[in-house]
Amino acid sequence: MGWAYSEKTKQIFMDAVHGKPGTHMGEIEEPDGVGEHGSIACGDALRFSFRVKRHPTDPLRDVITEARYLTFGCTSAIAASEALCSLIEDGGYTPIEALKITNEDIVDYLEGLPAQKIHCSVMGAEALQAAVLDWARRRGVDIESIGLALPESDEDEGRIVCNCLGMSEPYIRRKVEELNLRTIPDITNAIKAGGACQSCHHAPGGLQDILDDIWGPSESEEASSPPVTEGGNADAPLSAFQFMKKVESVIEEEIRPRLRSDGGDIELVDIKDRLVYLKLLGACSGCPGASTTLKLMVEKTLKERIDEQTRVIAV
Amino acid sequence: MKPLVYLDNAATTAVAPEVAGAMRPYLEQLYFNPSSMYGPAAGVAEAVKDARQSVASLLGGVLPSEVLFTSCATESNNAAIFGAVRARKKRRHIITTAVEHPAVLEPCRDLQRQGWAVDFLPVDRHGRLDPAVFVRALRPDTLMVSIMHGNNETGVCFPIGNLARITKETSPEILFHTDATQTVGKIPVDLTGDLANVDLLTFSAHKLHGPKGIGALFVRRSTPLRPLLLGGHQERGRRAGTENVAGIIGMGEACRLAARHIDDADSIRALRDRLQSALKERIPWLEVSGIDAERLPGMLSLACHFIEGESMLAQLDEEGICGSSGSACTSGSLEPSHVLSAMNLPFTALHGSVRFSLSRYTTDAEIDRVIEVFPRIVSALRRMSPYWDASKGAPRPGVMEEAGESSDSCDP
Repeated sequence: MGWAYSEKTKQIFMDAVHGKPGTHMGEIEEPDGVGEHGSIACGDALRFSFRVKRHPTDPLRDVITEARYLTFGCTSAIAASEALCSLIEDGGYTPIEALKITNEDIVDYLEGLPAQKIHCSVMGAEALQAAVLDWARRRGVDIESIGLALPESDEDEGRIVCNCLGMSEPYIRRKVEELNLRTIPDITNAIKAGGACQSCHHAPGGLQDILDDIWGPSESEEASSPPVTEGGNADAPLSAFQFMKKVESVIEEEIRPRLRSDGGDIELVDIKDRLVYLKLLGACSGCPGASTTLKLMVEKTLKERIDEQTRVIAV
Repeated sequence: MKPLVYLDNAATTAVAPEVAGAMRPYLEQLYFNPSSMYGPAAGVAEAVKDARQSVASLLGGVLPSEVLFTSCATESNNAAIFGAVRARKKRRHIITTAVEHPAVLEPCRDLQRQGWAVDFLPVDRHGRLDPAVFVRALRPDTLMVSIMHGNNETGVCFPIGNLARITKETSPEILFHTDATQTVGKIPVDLTGDLANVDLLTFSAHKLHGPKGIGALFVRRSTPLRPLLLGGHQERGRRAGTENVAGIIGMGEACRLAARHIDDADSIRALRDRLQSALKERIPWLEVSGIDAERLPGMLSLACHFIEGESMLAQLDEEGICGSSGSACTSGSLEPSHVLSAMNLPFTALHGSVRFSLSRYTTDAEIDRVIEVFPRIVSALRRMSPYWDASKGAPRPGVMEEAGESSDSCDP
């Protein structure tokens, strides 16, 4: 589909393309910081440079006065680059303060980006980080000593798996191994990948495939497949036969007499592990409210008398 | 030329004039690929988005992203079954029924050939499924259940909401698919209400006054399903291939209309019931398949003892009346309908099936014409039948015994 850009994104893009005064396309000669992100192979690349007003004694108090970009990319990549430069210049930030600009700030400035295009805004933030690192090197600032550790990002370039959140295969793989993520919900909880439209969960080359490749096929599936429940709460778990006999006798001696006194009845359809399938008959079967109450009553009785794991399913 | 009486709406339906009107611009001026970047293409993409929304609304207000457009219901069924199988390699058991459409039966049979265990559950004399039989079929390694919503030959409806609930209460890992090709747009299909436990649902546009060549597959969020068609990013990578834009627009409009006309079911049912009782009254030895079961309002499946369906169809055709004998897909073979066989229809009636299926466009006059014409056709053919004594208006003695059936099973 044609991307649904906001009016602001389109306007910024058009202004930049036409080189309207106040836009930031270009390169700074003898810059104080330069950073790049992306590559032509990825289809997006950004070269970001800035100039600072140098503080006579303390480099940490340098203030960025001018920011420029050269961008190879789509409408949103160009608009995001423009947004980044405007945010920095308008803010009168020091390079360290500029690092606090996130891709969310860029998306907000553009009044939203289509989900598939969010990664364009990430590119701006990454290039900014690289430029700040460059500035720190030139000015002799030890970034780590002031408590800022910049994440290495270049190694995570690669095929995008989660398009909504712009997460690449190398990044997801690295995180899966580092954080010992075993299931798709693990991944989503840890790094958000796959949390939006969910199309990448089972796509070829998607999250499940990455998990299978790293940990072996579908271990998670086997581990979580009921109805193979472990025995009960008793010291010696009941065998399937013993459980069935007990269910029959509790139904016969306690439950059925109670139901019959109200004009109802019950039929045992099947038992699988601790799942008891019952058909409710007579006066109770017609009324949905009554059958829910009844199901709960039967389940409670069976749990108390036999095994806490018991579940009743109305057929 | 006699006026056409179209009573084969379970095979396909007339394209609603509003649908054709909505599609036309997308066949003429608005031919752009919705994936393209220029302005006019964005308008097309927007129209596709609207159509997806109206499909999602008809299904009970599901998320538009849960609706995939496909080329037909057959593709949707194949995508659901093979897609689930390929996403879950360890589970090797599938539950379906003996009366599914071939688009579900054949994929299941093919999996069976390749080593999967498949249960084809039986139905009773009225086409009903015993939930207890279903429960007993569930296994720890069950991968998926694929059970149709309404049968395409008899209109008998299965209690999908209940079966899906039992499935999910047994194990949320088991996928529940339903082929709802005959029911969407005819009876309420509420995937956020009574069908909230259904993971996958199939239907197509041309059964509800939309165009042919466009279908849909509902895939509930986070259902493990591998795509059948790989290629471009269309449908979020879950069904590659340039969108059938005009078809999608037509399907969207058809769904919008179906939602508006969902209450027409009552008048359609009244017409069907009038046809049914008039024919029962006029034709002896006539079976109504699924008469004691819950049926789709517009479906009337008849089985006439001692005569053959195709010859009835030929004569109906002479009179300008369109009906069908069993499923259109079944009629290519010499085998009697697998659905009616599974229902243990008496052998003497098994080959004499005729299906009339109504729509919201069916008129009283059309029903009157069938009531006038059809009994004549049946008696003409019975006069030619070696099993029928026309002078007595009854089967020849010994016929039922010969066929291995007791005549008790039929209402004379």
